[in-house]
Amino acid sequence: MILRTCLAASTAIALTAGSPLFAQEVVNVAIIGDPDTFDPMVSTKDIVSIVTQHVIETLYTFDEEWSVVPLLAADMPAISDDGKTYTIPLREGVTFHDGSAMDSADVAASVQRWAKVASRGMAIADKIASIEATGPAEVTITLNESYAPLLSLLAFSNSAAAIYPEEILADQIEKPVGTGPYKVESRVPDQYTQLVRFDGYTQPGDAAGERAQTPDEIRFVPVPDPNTRVEGLLSGQFDYADSLPTEAYDRIAASDVAEPVLLEPFGWPIFALNHKEGLATDLNIRRAIQAALPVDDMLFAAFGDEKFFQTDGAFYPEGWAWYTDAGTDLYNINDQAKAAEYLEEAGYDGSPLRILTSRQYEFHYKMAEVAAMALEMAGFTVQMDVVDWATLAQNRDNPAVWDIYITHSPFLPEPALTSIFFSSSREGWDNAEKNEILARFTSETDPQARKEVFAELQAKAYEDVGLLKIGNFNALHGKAKALDSVSPSPWPAFWNASKAD
Amino acid sequence: MRSYLLRRLVGMIIVVFLVLTLAFILVRLAPGDPASLLLGPDATPEEVQSLRVRLGLDRPILVQYLTFLANALQGDLGRSLFFDRPVTEVLASRAEPTIFLALFSLLVALVIATPIGIWAAYRRGSVLDQTSITTAMLAASVPSFLTGLIFQRYLATDLGWFPASGYGGVGADFGTRMWHLVLPSITLGITNSALILRFTRASMLDILGEDYVRTARAKGMTERRVVLRHALKNAGIPIITVVGLTFALLISGAVVTERVFNLPGMGNLVVNAVLRRDYPVIQGTLIVVATLYVLVNLLTDLLYLAVDKRVKY
Repeated sequence: MILRTCLAASTAIALTAGSPLFAQEVVNVAIIGDPDTFDPMVSTKDIVSIVTQHVIETLYTFDEEWSVVPLLAADMPAISDDGKTYTIPLREGVTFHDGSAMDSADVAASVQRWAKVASRGMAIADKIASIEATGPAEVTITLNESYAPLLSLLAFSNSAAAIYPEEILADQIEKPVGTGPYKVESRVPDQYTQLVRFDGYTQPGDAAGERAQTPDEIRFVPVPDPNTRVEGLLSGQFDYADSLPTEAYDRIAASDVAEPVLLEPFGWPIFALNHKEGLATDLNIRRAIQAALPVDDMLFAAFGDEKFFQTDGAFYPEGWAWYTDAGTDLYNINDQAKAAEYLEEAGYDGSPLRILTSRQYEFHYKMAEVAAMALEMAGFTVQMDVVDWATLAQNRDNPAVWDIYITHSPFLPEPALTSIFFSSSREGWDNAEKNEILARFTSETDPQARKEVFAELQAKAYEDVGLLKIGNFNALHGKAKALDSVSPSPWPAFWNASKAD
Repeated sequence: MRSYLLRRLVGMIIVVFLVLTLAFILVRLAPGDPASLLLGPDATPEEVQSLRVRLGLDRPILVQYLTFLANALQGDLGRSLFFDRPVTEVLASRAEPTIFLALFSLLVALVIATPIGIWAAYRRGSVLDQTSITTAMLAASVPSFLTGLIFQRYLATDLGWFPASGYGGVGADFGTRMWHLVLPSITLGITNSALILRFTRASMLDILGEDYVRTARAKGMTERRVVLRHALKNAGIPIITVVGLTFALLISGAVVTERVFNLPGMGNLVVNAVLRRDYPVIQGTLIVVATLYVLVNLLTDLLYLAVDKRVKY
C-alpha cells in the first residue's frame, strides 16, 4: 500500500514536471501601439479591435469569406419582408467574464448604447425605431426603413456593437466585461496587455468557427518602432509581429526562426477629395486631378517592389463578392495634357492645390510627392502640407484647410462600412445621383441585386470623381515558424494559435 | 554658504516656474487634437467635441492654465488624457528604467573614458593617445540609434546574447529587468564616453604641466602616486562638471535609445505623449526633467566643495 502511494505520488510529480500538458503556452504578439481603451464600441482604431476581439464579442461576426455569421446570436435573424424588423435569436448558456449569464436585456441595452455612443451606431441611429428584448433569448431591432448593411455593422469589430452585461453600461466603461475566449488578466500601459483563457467560455456555432483557446495566454506588446518589431520577431522574442516594413521581407524570409506573412491584398490607398470647400468642389478640377495622377509611379515609389502592390482601379480586388470593373477606364489615365485641358475648362486661376499628408505612413508621403510632380506638370500649383499625424487628424476635419488628404483602408467586408461614400462624411461627397444609388444600395436586401447597385456606385465614383483609389497594397506581418493556426487578417486572432515544440 | 544655497533655491523655483509656463503654452501652440486621436479615424466631429468637453479641453486657455498652476503647486500634475491616470503615477512608473539606464550607461562611459583619458594624457602624442582620440571622435560621431541598431541586430538577434528589446514583460523580476538594460547601457555609454574622455585628457594635460607635479616627481614620488593622487584630484572639477551634465542629459530620457530598445522609460513616454497630444504628460515630464536638471547642477556645484578645498561659496 505504502509502495503504491509512493509510486502514485512520484508519477504525479513526474507528470507535473515533464508533461507539456502543464506547460503554460504563451503567444507573444508585437503590435504597433498601445490600445488606449478596451471598449471597442467607442474606438475605430484597428489596434483596439485586434486586442479586444479576444475579450469582447458581438452578435455576429465574419467568416473567412467575409460573410456575416452568428457569434452570440444563435442563428441569422428572421428579417420581415419589408426589411424593417430583425428578430435575433440569442445563444443560451453564454456567460460573461464576471460569471453572470448573458440574456436579452444585456443584449438590448448594449445595442442601444452602441446606437448612442459608437460612431458607426450613431451614423444609423436615425434609422433605428427600437431595440427591444422580445423574449428571454430574443432581441428585435425595428428600423424606420430597410437598411441592408445592418448585420455587417453588428458584426464589425471596430466601433463594434459589443455585448456587455447591462449592469456595467455607462457613457464610459471603466473595465469592459465580455464573453470572449480570453479575459484581461493584467495590463501595464505601453508595456503589455496580458490575456488569459476564460474557462467559462462556450463555443459559438460552426459557422463562426471554433475558438479553441489553444494558448493559455496571449500577450500583446506595443512596439512602436517597426525595426524593433522585426528584431524582436527574428530574435524569437515575439511569435507574431504586426505591420512590418516591406524592406525587411527578404531578411525575415531568410531567417531560421520566423517567416513573412503577406496579406495580399491588404487595402487601398485613397486620395480623399474635399467636396465641401475649395478647389476640388469643381468637377473639372477633380477630373484634372484624376487625369494627371501617374498611378504606377506612385505605387512604385510608395512600395518599392511589385510584391507589395497591384495597379488596380476596382474598389474591391478580384475574388471578392464586390469586385467589379465598372468605371475603371477612368483609372490610371496618367495624361497631364488631358488634365491641362480640364484645368482650362475650369478656368483654374493658379491658386494652390493643398495636399495634406503626414509621414506617419511613409507610403502616403511618397505617393503625395510623385503625385505633386505630375499635378504640377499638368499646370497645378501644388502646396504640400506635410504634418504629424495628430495635426492631420485635426486638420482633415476642417474643410477650410485642405483639398486632398491621403489615407488608406483595409478592404472592409461591406462597402457601406466605408464612410467616404456617404455625404455625411468629412469629405462630404454630395452628388444627387450618387445619393440615390447609395440609398438603393443600403435598402436593397437581395445580395445579387446589391452587387449590381455597387457596380453603379463605383462607376459613379469614377465619373463624378468622388474619391481617388490609387491601387491595392499588401501588408507584411511576420510569424515564428513554430506558430500555427493564425489566419492572415488585418485583425489577426490568436485563439487557435498553437506552437510546435 | 547658507545665502548661496538660498539664492540657488530661489533661482531653481524661477526656472521651474518658467519651464512650467512655457511647457503649457508650447504644447497648446502645436496643432493637433487629443480627442480626435483618442477616438480613431472614423469618429464624427460631434463625438470629438463631446470628448473635448469631458476632458476639459473646451475651457478658456487662461482658466486651464490657472487650474494647472494651482494643482501643480500642490504636487498634482493633472491626469493623463491617454492613460486616464494621474501624471505623477505615470511618471513614477517610468522612472525606473530611465534612472537605471542613466546610471549604467554613465558607469560604462566612465569605465571606458577615465582610464583611457588619463593614460592618453600621460603618454601624450603616443600611438595610444592618437588612437584613443580618433576612436573617441568616431564614437561621438556615430549616432546612438545606429550603434543601437547594430548591437541589437548582431548581439541580440543573431548571437542571442542579449534580449532584443523590451523590459522583461509580464511579472519580470528586478534581475530580468536590469538584464534588459545591458545592451542599451553599452550603446549609450559608448556614445557618451567620448566627451568624458576628451575632457579627462585635456584636464589632465593641463595639470601634468603644473609646477607642483614636477615638484612631486622631484621629491621622488612614484609615478602612479603623482598621476592618480596629485594630478587626477586637481583635474577633477572639469570632469565632474561634464559627468554631471551627461547624467542630467541621460536622466531626461535617452529618447532614441529607449525607442530603439522599446524601453518604457521617460524618453519613450514623452515622445508618445507628444504624438498623442497628451498635454498633461508632456507638461509633467518637462517639469520633472527641468527640476532634475537644476538639482543635478546644484549637486555638481556642491561636489566641487568636496573635491577642491579652494572652492568657496
